[in-house]
Amino acid sequence: MTLAPGATERRAGAGPRPLIPALIDAATVEAIAGEAWIALVGEDELLVPVPGELPADTLSAWVDVVGPWTGSVVLTTGRQTAADLTRALLGRTAPELLDHEDVADAYGEIANVVGGNVKAALPGPSQLSLPAVGVAPAVRNPDDVCRVEVLWRGQPLVVSVQGALPPLPHPLSPHENPHPNGASL
Amino acid sequence: MRALVIDDSRAMRRIVSGALEGFGYETRQAAHGQEALDLLHDGWMPELCTIDWNMPVMDGLQFVSAVRANPAWRALTLMMVTSESEQSQIVRALAAGAHEYVIKPFTADALRDKLALLGLLPEEALL
Repeated sequence: MTLAPGATERRAGAGPRPLIPALIDAATVEAIAGEAWIALVGEDELLVPVPGELPADTLSAWVDVVGPWTGSVVLTTGRQTAADLTRALLGRTAPELLDHEDVADAYGEIANVVGGNVKAALPGPSQLSLPAVGVAPAVRNPDDVCRVEVLWRGQPLVVSVQGALPPLPHPLSPHENPHPNGASL
Repeated sequence: MRALVIDDSRAMRRIVSGALEGFGYETRQAAHGQEALDLLHDGWMPELCTIDWNMPVMDGLQFVSAVRANPAWRALTLMMVTSESEQSQIVRALAAGAHEYVIKPFTADALRDKLALLGLLPEEALL
């Protein structure tokens, strides 16, 4: 089913479900991500609003929002860039050798901060899941997506605010991955 | 002064602990509310707890309620440090007994300002 941007979708037994373009725009998502980057990654760490081609080997981190709008806030970038982000976030406390858990933890926390602030810009009340890291959840409805493409240190990164159909379970259990094609770590 | 940093993210625990230690705090860390309660029951009593909201096992709001239910821990200052930034969530946390609310992302300066408001900035950080 394809709906016009900004439209709503009606399901049996439910009220109209708002689609994300009617609730938040790309500039707001970009501003939220940019603020998170400056505070978490570093004062000089800017996200440049230029699209780039993601490498074949990507890693995603996301949180789910369950409320009047239900979906996921997903960060996707190359695995090496996710590791670089982890080093930048940890700064002087970064271990010499990063393990997978370090990257999942730090990258997931960045998704948590971006997702929490996106949630606050959406109609509430909503619940936020714990972050998950792995293969990005599938886009269920192309009209229910707000996608922002940026470069960080010249490397491409995508922030996607994307609806979930059918609605995600409520409430979410900790670290549970509700996406059939996603993988929690 | 002593602070207990409660967050399920190891990276965020390091960031918050680093900022507090920079202000002169001695810190310990817990990955969820129950682990923090266990530390308090064991007798390690800080002046300040920084508390994430969304955590496995026991979330931040449950931890605040548990601390406030124990009169022996009345002197503990509870500061939420979380990405939950809906107004209704802030009201819930303050109503449950949190003293302050810091929204992630935050800067060390913002944390310092909140501690100063609470009268919990160690003397060395004022110099």
